[in-house]
Amino acid sequence: MRIAARHKNDIVIFDIEGEIKRSDITDMTLHQLVKEQLDGGKRKILLNFEAVEFIDSFGVGEILASYISTHNLGGKLKLVKISKKLFLIFQVTMLTKVLDIYEEEDTALKSFF
Amino acid sequence: MAKNRLRSALSHVVDLKPGEEVLAVFLFLYFFFITSPYYIIKSLRNASYLSGLGDEKLPLAYFLTAILMGFIVTFHSRLQVRLPRSRLIILSLFFFFSNIVLFCWLFGQGWKWVPVVFWVWANIFAIVLVTQFWILVNDVFNPREAKRMIGFIGSGAQLGAILGGVLAGVLARKAPWLLLPLAAGMLGLGILVVSAIFKRQGQKTEEIDREARDKVAGSTKVGFRDAFQTTRQSPYLLLLAGIMMVTLVVSTLIDWQFNSIVSSSVEGESNLTSFFGFFNAGTMFFAFLFQLLLTSPVIKAFRIRGALLFYPLILFLGTGGIGLAALAGLVLLVPAILIKASDKSLAYSLNQSVRELLYIPISPEQKYKTKIFIDMFLNRFAKGLGAVILAVLLWLVPRAPGTQGGEGAIRYISLIVLAIIAVWVFLNFLIGREYSNLVKAKLEKQYERGDLMVTQRLDVDFTKLVFDTVESKNRSSLLYAMNLFDLIRQDKLTPEVRKLISYRADEIRAASLGGMFEQTETGLGPKTEDELSEDVLKKEVQEIMNLDVYQDVMKGYLERTVADKSAGSHVARMEAAKVIGFMGPRAPLVGKLEDLLEDESPDVSRYAIQSAAVLKRRVDVPVLVRKLKSPALREDAIDALRKFGPRIAGTMADYLADRSEEIELRKTAAAVLAAIATQEAADYLSWELTGARDTLADEIIDALDRIRSSDSRVRFAEEIIKPRISKEIRLYCRNLVDLHDGAKPLEEMDSRSKENKLAGSLWNIFKLLGLIYPQEDMIKAYQNLKVGTKDSTAYSLELLDNLLEKELREVIFPVVEDLSLEEKVKRCRDLLAGFGGGKDSRGRD
Repeated sequence: MRIAARHKNDIVIFDIEGEIKRSDITDMTLHQLVKEQLDGGKRKILLNFEAVEFIDSFGVGEILASYISTHNLGGKLKLVKISKKLFLIFQVTMLTKVLDIYEEEDTALKSFF
Repeated sequence: MAKNRLRSALSHVVDLKPGEEVLAVFLFLYFFFITSPYYIIKSLRNASYLSGLGDEKLPLAYFLTAILMGFIVTFHSRLQVRLPRSRLIILSLFFFFSNIVLFCWLFGQGWKWVPVVFWVWANIFAIVLVTQFWILVNDVFNPREAKRMIGFIGSGAQLGAILGGVLAGVLARKAPWLLLPLAAGMLGLGILVVSAIFKRQGQKTEEIDREARDKVAGSTKVGFRDAFQTTRQSPYLLLLAGIMMVTLVVSTLIDWQFNSIVSSSVEGESNLTSFFGFFNAGTMFFAFLFQLLLTSPVIKAFRIRGALLFYPLILFLGTGGIGLAALAGLVLLVPAILIKASDKSLAYSLNQSVRELLYIPISPEQKYKTKIFIDMFLNRFAKGLGAVILAVLLWLVPRAPGTQGGEGAIRYISLIVLAIIAVWVFLNFLIGREYSNLVKAKLEKQYERGDLMVTQRLDVDFTKLVFDTVESKNRSSLLYAMNLFDLIRQDKLTPEVRKLISYRADEIRAASLGGMFEQTETGLGPKTEDELSEDVLKKEVQEIMNLDVYQDVMKGYLERTVADKSAGSHVARMEAAKVIGFMGPRAPLVGKLEDLLEDESPDVSRYAIQSAAVLKRRVDVPVLVRKLKSPALREDAIDALRKFGPRIAGTMADYLADRSEEIELRKTAAAVLAAIATQEAADYLSWELTGARDTLADEIIDALDRIRSSDSRVRFAEEIIKPRISKEIRLYCRNLVDLHDGAKPLEEMDSRSKENKLAGSLWNIFKLLGLIYPQEDMIKAYQNLKVGTKDSTAYSLELLDNLLEKELREVIFPVVEDLSLEEKVKRCRDLLAGFGGGKDSRGRD
């Protein structure tokens, strides 16, 4: 898994690439990267899943942990371009009621304001 | 009027229903008018043969008769198929009538071969005409009718035998030329009687006859071989044939014993002739009385199985007596007379009647093929076999140790007879059991029980889930997705279901899980090669829901959702209730289910009840029980509680037994126990049945019945069920008597509700019987009693007669028998008086 961060205005966009799964050993997990940004004062986080090939429950756990950390600090964490499969899982688990999910990056960025 | 007088006169000796008296008398006369000429012919047969050829030529007569019988069987079987029954019998009678006329002339010619031909012909006469008589009786009567009337009808033969023998004895010296014309005249009267019978019976016998002939004609070639094969292939017919043969072998041996003892006790030919004359007359007279007065009551009291044992057991005792007397060196004549008299009289009365009753449940086409074979050919064959066995035994006797002298041989033969009777008793036991099975097979299930069909064949949970899935499409894409996932989780999202739930609304499809299962693209997110594996989906959803972080994320949302009672918010709460059902039972958010169970919206409650059924938390049980009181949610609550299984049987039993609870709740508790359907649940229901009042008792009985249907291994306490049966019978009788005495027109509701109560009580009785007897048999009996034809009603009663124990039969039969209303009310009054709950038919307490 590779995660690259970019900024647009005060929104941090994490472009996630590859697979987010339990068995992957990386230097920094997604949650850790999000917390790093939160520690740096950022409060608007957008996760871009366009290049994510696979995500398992561990990956979802990372997303949710990131959400909680952001939310606890009064911030907003949103998701864009998640796969059909992930969206369906979010539907079944009712996470679509809690997480903000968008199809296009522009729309997601506008929703922060 | 005349018929009533006739029935009244006959009622002293036979139990007749209105309309039966004429047929009963006709059949009596038919049997009389074929037996009386036979006993004239028999006397002539013996006298002409013995005086013309001598006793040393008797084996020739036996041999010729046995050989010819095979051809007679074949010929008669073929005629049976080609001719209607009525024509066959009447033509046979005419044939033999013309033969008698011919013999009148032949005897006058003095030819030596005439007595030989006459001997063989006389045997054929007897076998053919008597067998045809019993075939007709089989066609005309069902088992219940036959049991009641067979004693009376059969006594026509004994009376005919007495008259024929007396006429032969008297006229032989004074006017021997009159004997054959007299026999012909009697047979002629028989033809008239038979014609009247067929005219009266008309369509019924013709239909049975035509149906059987069509079946037989369409099968194989009908003849001796076919009859033999048919007998061989049927265990029941083999038993019938075997019993008949064993009976005749025993009779042959007993006959030898008797003749041996008499010849050593009575000296001189004239003394012997006189002795045999009186003995035969006395035996036939006793047979007549037994047949007329005792055969039907014995069969009724002991049923077929018991009546079958009467004859062999009496012979067993008698033979044992002779053996012991021979051992002790006592006079043997009296025991010999007793046993031979028993043998002869019971053979022609009780045994013959029971044997004919055993034929009744056999299919007409089987009877067509085999009755002639068994009654004609095997009958003669068995007598021959008995003679061979006797000859062998007598050859062996001088060699057997301790058999010197006549008493030694008699002891030895007695032992052999005892052993053969033991075999006979065993065969009777087997056929008694097979008779019950045959009667059962005659009863068809009239209709399937709709309530059981639904529970057994319809997966109600699956149906509800499919319905919810389809219905939720219009409510919420989320709910729809969750319902679809639920189908996947339970491996029930079959291609048929997918087809059923797919539809064309693009906007919903795009946002829903359903889109994944339909052919077109959803346009959601990037196009990926991601395949949606159902197993992976199940696994991942499960894992996500088990995450603590998931519970944390959803907590705030669920709390807000559960608390939100604004307009339109119920859909969100339905979603919440559904998703909680996907969590593990120990997940912190599951606690929210309690609020959702008590939600004011029935839809929300329903989803919460379904989730509670999945989670099976004990803490939810009291809420679910409260939901049993709600008409809208009752069925869902029952279903949910059922899924808890045996764990809550005790809890439901407590509600059932709690007299302070509302009756509707207690009834529903019974329904839940029925759904749980374990031995424990059955035991709880049975215990509560003891003191239950009427409305609750009906529910409990219904619940027990459903448990019985769902699991045949469950046992029910007879000591509880039998008294309840008696109580239901008492209720039935009381309602029937009230309905009768009330004299209200049926349009009035009160009477109608009493009629419904009658029907309900009767159904309860059979449900209860189904708990302690084979349920399938009781259902068939009940259905055939309610909606069947006259014959299927009779077979139902015959089945009950064979299955139920004596105490139950005595109280149930007055309720179920085919009686007039007045007679039924009378018997109910007597029953109530016996139970100690009312006045008897004479108005006494």
